Parts: sequence; structure tokens; C-alpha cells
Amino acid sequence: MAELRQIAFYGKGGIGKSTTSQNTLAAMCHYYGQKILIVGCDPKADSTRLILHEKAQSTIMQLASEAGTVEDLELEDVCKPGADEFHPDNEEITEGYIMCTESGGPEPGVGCAGRGVITAINFLEEEGAYDDELDFVSYDVLGDVVCGGFAMPIREGKAQEIYIVMSGEMMAMYAANNISKGILKYANTGGVRLAGLVCNARMTDKEYDLAKHLAKQIGTQMIHFVPRSNHVQRAELRRMTVVEFSPNSEQAMEYKELARKIIANDLKVIPEPLEMDDLENLLMEFGLDEEVEEDAIGKKAEEA
Amino acid sequence: MFICGYHFPASEGNDVAFDKVIEKVNEGIDASGKTVTLSSETREGVVLESIEVPAGTFAHTAFVDYFENTDIPTKEDTKMVYYTNKYQISEISKSVDGDVTKDLCKKLDDMNLYRVKVA
Repeated sequence: MAELRQIAFYGKGGIGKSTTSQNTLAAMCHYYGQKILIVGCDPKADSTRLILHEKAQSTIMQLASEAGTVEDLELEDVCKPGADEFHPDNEEITEGYIMCTESGGPEPGVGCAGRGVITAINFLEEEGAYDDELDFVSYDVLGDVVCGGFAMPIREGKAQEIYIVMSGEMMAMYAANNISKGILKYANTGGVRLAGLVCNARMTDKEYDLAKHLAKQIGTQMIHFVPRSNHVQRAELRRMTVVEFSPNSEQAMEYKELARKIIANDLKVIPEPLEMDDLENLLMEFGLDEEVEEDAIGKKAEEA
Repeated sequence: MFICGYHFPASEGNDVAFDKVIEKVNEGIDASGKTVTLSSETREGVVLESIEVPAGTFAHTAFVDYFENTDIPTKEDTKMVYYTNKYQISEISKSVDGDVTKDLCKKLDDMNLYRVKVA
């Protein structure tokens, strides 16, 4: 039996991490029969809704607060099987399955959200959620790693391979670079490695070139370019992944290819993050078709 | 890492030489005498144009290889081309095919979806 792989999807808030991770994990299950546990590490608790076909499930922190402490919870209370084809008992389409859990977090503005992540992962480990049958545990982690709590899967060596979801926009690249810094910080102590950038495309000019060169410069690969598609929104409105909603669609094929690559991926590196100036230079070099002269900086469109 | 769908082991690093990719793509593929036609369409599915890939080029062999070896269902004798692959084929073709595929590569670098047909 293959060894359990613990992966994590990181990236800037709003970049489409949860959508990308759920569609990719669904493809790993649907087309390749992988057995997966998703640990949602976002207080929004939306890392599993497309797999469960329901709004955010009750989170570990929420249930612990109702029960008194986390010790009062049972694994079955917080760990739910995916709906339909992702259910362990449904082998019609795939022998794989997806189990789902959400760490949750405190009310907005109160407490440390990272604590929810720490508490949840420890609880899941103690209760035996990471069983021998699983092929993958996947953490879907909120935003940037400036908050140490959210870096916990990296810090504690829980997530061994990190996929950064990004796009060709400056802030997404900035976040990707920052996450690389977080990985670098804990690479020697926890053994975490950067496994690749996933470009969740905004379809901006030269986006492929930009993502590829960022990946190359920080020492990793741009593992897949996921185009933008209305199919994703159509599926999301039905609380489904594209893979389940329309398994032969072009967009489902893109996720299938990303899934194949992640399963076969062996390029796991200690990243070499860029300095801010180098990042800006990269954007200048590849980001736009037209060059911006030094004297145009700060000028309005009609002045430039 | 992955280029044109092929896996290159981690020991080869994150910057695999084009020569190695070309060698892999050529393995077991006889593209001679085959006509490769690409059609482009917008995200909304509006078909834009049909383009024939010049024979004897890397792009030609790469699309034959893609068509024959990629596990994607065919639709009216065509296969969609993964965006990643079209950008990678374009990148290598620009480097080794020169002016012959210059216009084709410019098109492949856009945001449209391409379908490939090999006859």
C-alpha cells in the first residue's frame, strides 16, 4: 500500500483555492480512485461544500463549543463522507472516496483563527482519522501565512507538499512568494516542500509566461494552468464540482490532468523566494504586452 | 516536472532542456504524411478559425503525439488541447521551428481554446 501523502493548497484569499482544491481532489477520486480526507482550515468552512453538496458543515470548533470541549466530540460528529459518488459506500463510478471535515474558527474579530486549525488537526490525529486506507490528506488553508496559526500545517510538518494556487495578478504572486518564504522557514525542521504552483487563470495577458517564470525563479514548477470557465460557476451553483456535474467537459478534463500530475509529482523543493524588487521586475517583464517607461510611473492613463 | 504531458523526474530539476522534451515527443511517433488541423474558439464556444500546422515542425509532431496519446474523449474527431500543453508546444516551437510557426505560435499564446484533428 502506498504511503499516505499529506498535501496542502495555499494561496491568496479569493484566488479560488477551495474551488481549485475541491475540483482537483474530486478528479483524483473520480478518475483515479484515490481515497482522500479533506481538512478545511478556513473559518468560512467552505472547503468541502462542493463535495458534500451542502452549505458549510458544522465545524470542529463550533461543535466543540456546543459540547464543552473538543474531547467531548466523536470523529463521526465532525468527519462526514462526501455525497453521491464520493461516498465510501458508493462504488458505481469510483472505488475512491472523499471524507470531509472543517476546522472552523472563532467569530470574526475575536480570538485566533489559527488555533482552530491546530486544535482540529490534533483532534483528527488522536481520533484516528488518518487511517491506513487513505491515499491523501489535503489541507485547504486560508490566505497568506503571515499569521503563524495558518502556517501550522507547514510548521508542524503535517502537510508535506504544498501547492500554491495563484494567478498572473500582482497580489496573487506576492502571496505565492510569501507562502514560499513560510515554507522555506520550516523546510529544514518540518520537512515541508513546495510541490508546485497552480495557475488558476484570470486570463490576463501573458499569464502563462508570468506564472511559469515565477515558478522557475523560486525553484519549482508551474504544474498546471487552469483556464477560467463558466462551467465552474454553473457547477458551484448546484454545490457540485465540475468533475461530478459534467465529467466529460473541457474544464473537467483540465482538472483530470492536474489530478494526474499531482498523483505522479515528485518535484518537491525547498523554495528560493524572490525579493520584492525582483517580483516587480518579473511583472514588468512578462505582465503586459506594452512596456512601461520609468517616467510613466505614477501617471494617469491620459497623461502617460 | 511535466512538459507536453510527459513526466520528467525530479532529478532533472525544474528547467528541463527542450532537447529532452523533443526527444520524448518524437519517441514512437511517426507524424509524416499526417495533416494536423487546429481550430480555435472563444470561452463562449464561438469557433474562430481553422489553422493547419506546418508539417516537419516540432509543433506538428507534438500535436500528433498529443492527439494519439492524450486520454481525452474525442468530439467530432477532435480533441481539446490543454492550455498548459498549447503554451508549452508554442514555447518550444518558437525556439526550434523559427519563422515557419511564428504566426501559429502567436495564436497559440492567446486565451482561446484549441481543438486538434489529425488526419
